[in-house]
Amino acid sequence: MHKHATSRPRFLNLLQMRYPVGAIVSIGHRLSGLLLIAALPALVIGLEWSLRSEADFRQMCEVLWSPWARGALVLMIWALAHHVAAGVRHLLMDAGVGSRLPRARASARLAIVFAVLCALAAAAGWRP
Amino acid sequence: MHLRIYRYDPDSGSAPTMQDYTVEPEAGDRKLLDLLVRVKSVDDSLSFRRSCREGICGSDGMNINGRNGLACLTPIDGLAEPVTIRPLPGLPVVRDLIVDMTQFFTHYSAIKPYLIEKGPPPERERLQTPVDREKLDGLYECILCACCSTFCPSFWWNPDKFLGPAALLQAYRFIVDSRDGATAERLDYLDDVYRLFRCRSIMNCTEVCPKGLSPSHAIEQIRQALLSRSL
Amino acid sequence: MRVFSGQVPWLLQRLTALFLIAALLVIFIALLFGVLPDYASWRAFVTSSHGATIVFVSYLAVCTHAWIGVRDVLLDYVKPLPLRLLLLMAISVLLAATAIRLLLVLGAALFV
Repeated sequence: MHKHATSRPRFLNLLQMRYPVGAIVSIGHRLSGLLLIAALPALVIGLEWSLRSEADFRQMCEVLWSPWARGALVLMIWALAHHVAAGVRHLLMDAGVGSRLPRARASARLAIVFAVLCALAAAAGWRP
Repeated sequence: MHLRIYRYDPDSGSAPTMQDYTVEPEAGDRKLLDLLVRVKSVDDSLSFRRSCREGICGSDGMNINGRNGLACLTPIDGLAEPVTIRPLPGLPVVRDLIVDMTQFFTHYSAIKPYLIEKGPPPERERLQTPVDREKLDGLYECILCACCSTFCPSFWWNPDKFLGPAALLQAYRFIVDSRDGATAERLDYLDDVYRLFRCRSIMNCTEVCPKGLSPSHAIEQIRQALLSRSL
Repeated sequence: MRVFSGQVPWLLQRLTALFLIAALLVIFIALLFGVLPDYASWRAFVTSSHGATIVFVSYLAVCTHAWIGVRDVLLDYVKPLPLRLLLLMAISVLLAATAIRLLLVLGAALFV
């Protein structure tokens, strides 16, 4: 019996699971969090740059909205929007709001759509 | 109907494979378990657990088309073909669809799933008001089929340290029980990075519970109990 | 409250989240009303002592939130203890370095 105990296979092929929408939001929460952390050095350097002089400030704004930076910016805006939306959802559920399954599914879908819409708005060049 | 089933024979020495079967449902066949029994009548080497065939014993938990569920409660109608059936994820496979549930039950016994005395035992039975009794609804119905815990990503990553949704639901069942005297000790035990706090509120547990229970809600209540105790 | 329990980081994660959501809302509203995007008002905000404090405290909240988040990710996916500690150390250094850099930048802007 012990012979098998160590060599027993386990089924855990992540690509063969059918994930509920909550799981999609959750892995997106994680992924977006890591992306945001990766952007922190750039954030601090950008702040430093923007304070140097008026010309530097303008230049930074231009670079930020240039086509080549647009991709990264759109990705970051998706990450921020998704992370915040998924986070608000968790905070509400911790407070007992919307933690029943139908509501939780609806809010999960909403978080995904919200983040994608934010990213699309940024891609289209909309600025608040 | 076309079924594709995970096969593993520990004595063969070879890796698990998927095997295709075609069975025709007969009159009266309603659930996936009926089909599995038909397959077994053709190929008796196929192994799976089942007993009550009505969602009470919790034996026939398996991964059906990528989601955990009980074969005996899964209607044949609406199943996408081929119906792909694999063992519960993450647990060691003993044979075919039979998994080793030791880990699962170790966590279950760790939460002490029994009433712990407050003081000397009473002369008669411990009475409970209807209101207190109602607090156990949605908790006591758990049949320990392991569908929830083995569909929980947090359990996949830390099956040895994270208690998993099933054990946590049971933990809460005794925390809220007015007759239990060990609430503080139970909460102390759960206040741990691994045991309780690996839960990321993904809610896969609630999604797949064949009894319609909500382990994620129970976990939320445990966190609230911990919080209100601390503040 | 026990210091080394599962609950403390969990709670910190939520408190910093609440703080950062409020900060993001303020930033978003400021952007919406066009308060920030010109150099003079941006600089005036960041170089005021309360502006610099808000920026720095927010960044500390970001770092705390990020550190707990990374710790959770590592507890889930990275099993070998030395590697886990190494990665946790690396992220701690990165967060501390950016925080110190920010402090220097704010200090310089504040006193020049």
